[in-house]
Amino acid sequence: MSRAQRVGEVVWEVPASAREDMRVPARVFADEVLFEAIERDGSLAQLENVATLPGVVGAALAMPDAHQGYGFPVGGVAAMELPDGVVSPGGVGYDINCGVRLLVLPLRASELADRKEALVHEISRAVPAGAGKEARQRAPAELDAVLRDGPRAWAGGDDLERTESGGCLPGADPAAVSERAKARGAGQLGTMGSGNHFVELQRVARIDDPDAAQAYGLAEDQVTVLIHSGSRGLGHQVCTDYVKRMEDAMRRYGIALPDRQLACAPASSPEGEAYLAAMAAAANFAWANRQAIADAVRRAIARVLGEEAARGTRQVYDVAHNVAKVERYGGRDLLVHRKGATRAFPAGSADVPAPYRHVGQPVFIPGSMGTASWVLAGEPGSRTQAFGSTCHGAGRTLSRTGARKRIGGGELRRQLEARGITVRSPSNTGLAEEAPFAYKDVDRVVEVVHRAGLARPVARLEPLGAVKG
Amino acid sequence: MYRWGEHVGELELELEAPTEPALFRDAFAAFCELAGGDGETDGEQRTIELEGGDRGGLLADWLDELVYLADAEQFVPERLVELRLDDGRLRAVVRGHRGAPSCLVKAVTRHRLAFEPAPGGWWARVVLDV
Repeated sequence: MSRAQRVGEVVWEVPASAREDMRVPARVFADEVLFEAIERDGSLAQLENVATLPGVVGAALAMPDAHQGYGFPVGGVAAMELPDGVVSPGGVGYDINCGVRLLVLPLRASELADRKEALVHEISRAVPAGAGKEARQRAPAELDAVLRDGPRAWAGGDDLERTESGGCLPGADPAAVSERAKARGAGQLGTMGSGNHFVELQRVARIDDPDAAQAYGLAEDQVTVLIHSGSRGLGHQVCTDYVKRMEDAMRRYGIALPDRQLACAPASSPEGEAYLAAMAAAANFAWANRQAIADAVRRAIARVLGEEAARGTRQVYDVAHNVAKVERYGGRDLLVHRKGATRAFPAGSADVPAPYRHVGQPVFIPGSMGTASWVLAGEPGSRTQAFGSTCHGAGRTLSRTGARKRIGGGELRRQLEARGITVRSPSNTGLAEEAPFAYKDVDRVVEVVHRAGLARPVARLEPLGAVKG
Repeated sequence: MYRWGEHVGELELELEAPTEPALFRDAFAAFCELAGGDGETDGEQRTIELEGGDRGGLLADWLDELVYLADAEQFVPERLVELRLDDGRLRAVVRGHRGAPSCLVKAVTRHRLAFEPAPGGWWARVVLDV
């Protein structure tokens, strides 16, 4: 029998008393169907482990898209009291600042018409995708500038203003990033990577909140491009390096944990400070990566649709999914870990760009390939209930092996193209692993965060074409 | 012997072998399956030396090195020429080639990491981030 109790319409909780080592409750935002999946796949047990971390406050939280991860569940949020609460690299994840960026084109899908396939193809040529695909090798000084400054190293203007944290976390220190991490990242700036990363061409299928949509520059039938990528091998190596370093340090700090992947150290310790400096650098690299991909998409738009269309392509926003940030709640500075969760600040927040401040921060929720994605706006409940957070996607429900057993990549490609979705992917295997049925129903996930008061729907986006990593 | 277990988000690798070195060799074979080498081109060689930690940690570090070589150097491993385990140290010589590893593994986690005696030898489990 479940140890969790339903404590709200879409809120479930395992009390801190359920385990001797839990310091706070484990709380899940979900309806009955999503909660059952979260409990079944082990995510709830992982969330209970998160609730044991030293310095954790409030509750360890899981979003409705949560699924089994490593250490933290994917879709997990945990806030730590500063200065002595811990920072856990596993609580940020390997793909530091994996995130999404939405671009909006100055034309309707009906105007795109038969140029759609050419545009998807051109994007697939412009953005290297798949494991091991590289871009131009960056010189050490150039890479250090990116780690320190993010996309500011070469970009400016509206794109930066419409990026979470301006695309640059403070305290980034290239010297805290190992040479191995730099070797992995030097040739990967502007590349998509593999797994669930993508660039998707979409149309705005429905507007739910006209005021917010207008502020974000979205109109019905408008063409958008959603970019999903992260910090590539550089971020993975940073996490690998610091999980090992913190495993060693934990003994000195007298920290014992139920899962080695939760390895952590006090945020104010030398290990904690070094990790935060390296994590910030990797986060800046990820924002620069998505900026370079956006630049490549604009070049593809120029080639297919003309220079005017490229110049008129605006960035709506760019949000991080995997990051730890210092934020203020209840008069206290907390270190908020989001692993597969999105910051969702409400209207009036100083951290939201001025053009959006009256409606709230934009949040993008990619659905599975072939289904819908959502644009949401942050709501006040995110701050009062979830340390300013909401969900980040549909959330897997089927393993990659399970997905491959049910469909081949070639067959999936045919099915998607029969529905008018153009697909470009270097790997049929990778394509099959991302089959729509491997994910939860994104509409259901969005409904839960809406009912919980974490974020509200603004627009529903439907795919026209997908370039997969 | 190795097999792939079910994990919703990642790849779970289970290993069974009569000896500890044999288990590390099986881990190499599992990685080669993911990296997509065909065993026919092994013009380059890498020597890997690791030290410290428990056996589970050493197994994770061993796979980490292969991930690093694939990602940073596009090194596709093909053949394990030598593998020695002494106390907390590993020394291995790997042959392969520079190419385009089809490997989706991005990191080796410590989540549910296990390395235990089992009937007939040793059993281990490691979750790979993909």
